Amino acid sequence: MVPLAYFQLVSAGLFAIGLYGVLARRSAVLIVMSIELMLNAVNINLIAASSHLEGLANFAQFDGQIIAIFVITVAAAEVGLGLAIILRIHRNRSTVNVDEIDLMKW
Amino acid sequence: MEWAWLIPVLSFIAAPLIVILGPKLPGKGSFLAILAIAAGFVIFWAVLSGFLGASPDSSHCETSADTGSLVCDYQQEWFHAGLASLDQSVTLTWGTLIDPLTLAMLGLVTFVALMVQVYSLGYMKGDPRLGWYYAVHAMFAGSMLTLVLADNFLLLYMAWELVGICSYLLIGFWHERPAAKEAAKKAFIVTRIGDVGLLVGILLLWSEVGSFSMSEAFNAATTGAMSEGVTTTAALLLLLGAMGKSAQFPFHVWLPDAMEGPTPVSALIHAATMVVAGVYLVARAFPIFQAYDGDALLVVAVVGLVTALMSASIALVSVDLKRILAYSTISHLGLMMLSLGAFGYTAAIFHLLAHGFAKALLFLGAGSVMHSTEAQDIRQMGGLIKVMPITAIVFSVGALSLGGIPLLAGFWSKDEILNAVSQNRNPVFIATAFVVAFMSAFYMARAMFVVFFGQLRQGLDHAHESPWLMTAPMMMLAVLAAGFGLINFNWPGAFPGFGGLIYFHEAEDFHFNLWIGVLSTVLALGAFWLASLCYLRERISPDILRQKAPWLAVVVENKYYFDEVYQWAVDRLVLTVSGFVALFDRAVVNDVGVNGPADTVRRVGFVLRLHVTGHLYSYALAMVLGTVGLAVLWWLRSV
Repeated sequence: MVPLAYFQLVSAGLFAIGLYGVLARRSAVLIVMSIELMLNAVNINLIAASSHLEGLANFAQFDGQIIAIFVITVAAAEVGLGLAIILRIHRNRSTVNVDEIDLMKW
Repeated sequence: MEWAWLIPVLSFIAAPLIVILGPKLPGKGSFLAILAIAAGFVIFWAVLSGFLGASPDSSHCETSADTGSLVCDYQQEWFHAGLASLDQSVTLTWGTLIDPLTLAMLGLVTFVALMVQVYSLGYMKGDPRLGWYYAVHAMFAGSMLTLVLADNFLLLYMAWELVGICSYLLIGFWHERPAAKEAAKKAFIVTRIGDVGLLVGILLLWSEVGSFSMSEAFNAATTGAMSEGVTTTAALLLLLGAMGKSAQFPFHVWLPDAMEGPTPVSALIHAATMVVAGVYLVARAFPIFQAYDGDALLVVAVVGLVTALMSASIALVSVDLKRILAYSTISHLGLMMLSLGAFGYTAAIFHLLAHGFAKALLFLGAGSVMHSTEAQDIRQMGGLIKVMPITAIVFSVGALSLGGIPLLAGFWSKDEILNAVSQNRNPVFIATAFVVAFMSAFYMARAMFVVFFGQLRQGLDHAHESPWLMTAPMMMLAVLAAGFGLINFNWPGAFPGFGGLIYFHEAEDFHFNLWIGVLSTVLALGAFWLASLCYLRERISPDILRQKAPWLAVVVENKYYFDEVYQWAVDRLVLTVSGFVALFDRAVVNDVGVNGPADTVRRVGFVLRLHVTGHLYSYALAMVLGTVGLAVLWWLRSV
């Protein structure tokens, strides 16, 4: 059985890449994609934990998997909403560069 | 008798009804006010007969230890204040107190108000705000009736202020005229100054007695439960309120200006409501005034005497018909105060009633003259008896009565006052009172002769007699002004005379002191004779005095410069102090206290807003750093 730490390393790496994408990217579409990466990193972590920590106190067998399914559902909705917003912004302002979208300030 | 509370309540109900329904009703709802006060007048007779049939054994009734007369008190609980469980509860009551003094006032107020309201139907005909006029009139009558019925000081004070506000509304009824507006404000503010004294006096009594009830306060004063200093102070504070309302020196300045209101209002204010409230208050609180040898009463007497003398002299030279009557009112109120101050309780109330009828009559007569000639200056009038005989005759009856011509009501009441003064005060008082009596007769004679007798003035041919709606009330008042004195005597039979009904501790017989009676008759007749020489036959020119003592004439004609002095005081003293207060308000309260915190918040907000950059990555970074920070914190804590 692959040790839990490997899964966690992959998950952490994936999360860091996603975080970098969110902070460093200018394009709104790429930011949304990076957020997806982060969510999936979390999912990996959850599934791995669910199969390795079976039988530990406070953890039921399917907890991690159930939460992962919730995350996937929410992520799907979030992508749909996020892309729709980005589309509208693009229609209105002909750009998806988040540096130029700064109307909501003082 | 237990239904006496209906008398004011009916008028109080009528007032809002007129305002709400008036525009849809015939006569703008004026009949509602008249019906209410007429019903009050009818109930008054029922109450009177009930009271005369009552004895100290009747329920709610007893012989008061404070006044010595029968008192019926119908008291209700009003509300609780404070916590009953902590034994700190205060229960306030209200109720009606019926005693001879109340009955006398009830009769006067309902009758005069009824007459004035009927008269107003003619006088105010066609006024666009007739409904409002009658609504306030009803309020006015209701407030005054509450005032005389109140059995505790709190209710009395409420009614007292209501009277004040109603007088303000009525004096300023024609508020399009600047003079009326000013007069209304003046009346309100000047009486308010006195009211502060009244309020403090009531609170003082409350703190001493623990109750607003009049009978308890009187008990405390007469039995010695209240110390001499407190009793006298309370009496003087109450007197302050009475002086404001009754236009006593030095608060008399508002009453002449109050002539800017419609004339029937003046009649009501001068005869039945408002100004007699002060005299009533002193009479009502007489046990407090009279306790401890009546030190406070000496002040009452002096105030009354000064007022009477000063205003009588102004009335001699005034040329405005209504102002002559106004100063005459002040002078007679002074006489009433003087009488109270000389222990002449019965005499004061008797004069209050006799003067009330006569003065209402005179004002209604003056209103009738002005209605027809549209003039107020007596120099533009003359010989009006030829065109308006009824008004002339009833006015003359009022003038003769108030002037103290024998057998008319004013003669008897004034005699009683002089009697009381001569018995209980030192000779200076009685001598001055005789001078006032002479002047009073003289100015009434002057007004009567100049306006109604002699040659008919040019330009007054268009004058005409007033409609019967106006003359009928005047005639009824004239009957009373002439014949009211008859109830003063002990008639054979059961009737004990006025002094047998209204008295303080001892029933008073009718007394007639020969030298006073003769002297006052001579003075009154002499004054009328002299006035007829001056103004009717013009044998003596009234200007002689002006030539002999010009300074005196100037001072008196300028009303002793009271208005000017007060104006100076307001301009120089009050406004200066107000300026400082305003400065403090602007600089400290406004700039530091109010704007200070607001400015601080704004400046802080100005700095804080900079964190809202609008850049997505800055928010994202903040989120990340926050999360990391939280995680580190959690880790540190768990280690």
